[in-house]
Amino acid sequence: MNGAPYTVLRTRGLAKQYPVAGGRRLVAVDGVDLALDAGRTLALVGESGSGKSTIARCVVRLVEPSAGEVWINGRAVHAMGRGSLPELYREAQMVFQDPNGSLNPRMTVRQVLHEPLRLHLKLDRERREARARQLVEQVGLTPAHLDRYPHELSGGQRQRIGIARALAVEPDLLILDEPTSSLDVSVRGDILALLLRLQREMRLAYLFITHDLQVVRHVADDVAVMYLGGIVESGPVAEVFARPAHPYTRALLSAAPVPEWGVTRTRLRLAGEIPSPIDPPPGCRLVGRCPLAQPGCSAARPPLVEVSPGHLSACPVTLTAGDRP
Amino acid sequence: MTVPLLRVDGLGGAFRRRDGGLTPVLHDVSFALQPGCITAVVGETGSGKSLTALTILGLQPSAFVRRSGRILFAGQDLLALPPSAMRAVRGRRISMVFQDARAALNPVFSVGAQLADVHRLQHGGSARAAWDAAVEALRRVRIPEAERRARQYPHEFSGGMAQRAMIAMAALVCTPALLILDEPTTGLDVTIQSDIMELIVELCRDRGLTACLITHDLGVVAESCEEVVVMNAGRVVETGTTEAIFTRPQQPYTRRLLAASRLDAAAA
Repeated sequence: MNGAPYTVLRTRGLAKQYPVAGGRRLVAVDGVDLALDAGRTLALVGESGSGKSTIARCVVRLVEPSAGEVWINGRAVHAMGRGSLPELYREAQMVFQDPNGSLNPRMTVRQVLHEPLRLHLKLDRERREARARQLVEQVGLTPAHLDRYPHELSGGQRQRIGIARALAVEPDLLILDEPTSSLDVSVRGDILALLLRLQREMRLAYLFITHDLQVVRHVADDVAVMYLGGIVESGPVAEVFARPAHPYTRALLSAAPVPEWGVTRTRLRLAGEIPSPIDPPPGCRLVGRCPLAQPGCSAARPPLVEVSPGHLSACPVTLTAGDRP
Repeated sequence: MTVPLLRVDGLGGAFRRRDGGLTPVLHDVSFALQPGCITAVVGETGSGKSLTALTILGLQPSAFVRRSGRILFAGQDLLALPPSAMRAVRGRRISMVFQDARAALNPVFSVGAQLADVHRLQHGGSARAAWDAAVEALRRVRIPEAERRARQYPHEFSGGMAQRAMIAMAALVCTPALLILDEPTTGLDVTIQSDIMELIVELCRDRGLTACLITHDLGVVAESCEEVVVMNAGRVVETGTTEAIFTRPQQPYTRRLLAASRLDAAAA
């Protein structure tokens, strides 16, 4: 079965709304469809408030979705009772942005790694210890680190422990929520190299949440660009980055500075800032900020349409204008 | 080469530990800021870049013990100035923009009132004139509906808008010769970050300001700065024009930092 495409994660119409004062509703995630195969990486990109972290949390039921379906390894996650969620956590695990906040400061690395092995896999002490030693070595540390507390580790080492903890139960899916955003660039490269190696070795599927477009280019196979709770464009990374179809993707890509001398960017500028997600108006989410907007854009929410094989965009204006670069 | 506006010369120092011992943190740090230029000081966590910037303004943490060096600003050694004379420099001649603008603003006063306060402190005049100057400064940094925004409080500002207001205060309401920016766009979204950097470059050009940009983001440096100072572990590793640093880096550390920022070969 190695090599055969196998869908680990699928969402259909995933949505999350929060009621706010005055009977209004905050739409955090608005009907999102995702599909992720074993051994592949899907990057979710977008700016603050786009809903990417809410999706990550909905997928593993850390946040209860308001509507829609989540399937992991063919299992209907949205229909699972809370009592059976531990079964889900043997298949899907999370790695968080801030390894300071996500590791208990009063637990040694050994305790951090033993816990999932005891709770989920019911291993005895001896086998737990053997597995914990194997895990620290897998993430590039040594058994000597097992006796350390989080504050005795560097940021990169802490993130390695966060990854080892997620791998303890041998999951198929890792949900990585900005795993390198709080790290220095030199450490960022090491952690990404580690994640790529682990993925090759274990055929892991990664749902990779980030705002760092360079990281997307480096690690992801596919990308979904989010804006105000919805996907505006998705497809293979190379295709979307080379020929962005949606104005928001173009604005995002053209805003990112590159660490090269003499590169000039032609920016596509959006007016103002991301609007409130409370009671969003109908029509395209980008109306009001988009320099290419047409009168029809505010009438109805444009659907995702295929612009080239596997490459979807929710902008009818760029589709018909034929101005794609 | 023209005479630099500011020269950090052999700055060295240490943090005093609780046991009374000293942990060295800055070693013979030397660089110069040329007038009218934007100079980047780049480095990773713990490189000493922010500590150096804070020391220029006399805002270093109290545990920091300077052991050597001078900071020459317009011919004066800032480190030898009495506190009262330093207060006359800080804000008036050298001002600073911090990373988290919403935390740097006072939450209980409106943004306009804070800018107007600084204006009266620096330039005197009537409250009315100070308020008008504050609104004008907000308008100049392209905050929409500046009159209404001036009456709002910092929590009503987004991170990007608050940083614009801070820049208005530090570069326009204050009329410094030198503007120090400590990670001004870190934590902001990339589209907002780009707008803020363009604003900074534009204001510096318009007013002939000399600026020192403390950052870890080499992408921002490549686009906005003329000169670069690379720091690592409390030392200056390399200095040069942006073109030289990016196209002909001399030091292995600079090359590693560039490779890591570009996520090329070294990281794969």
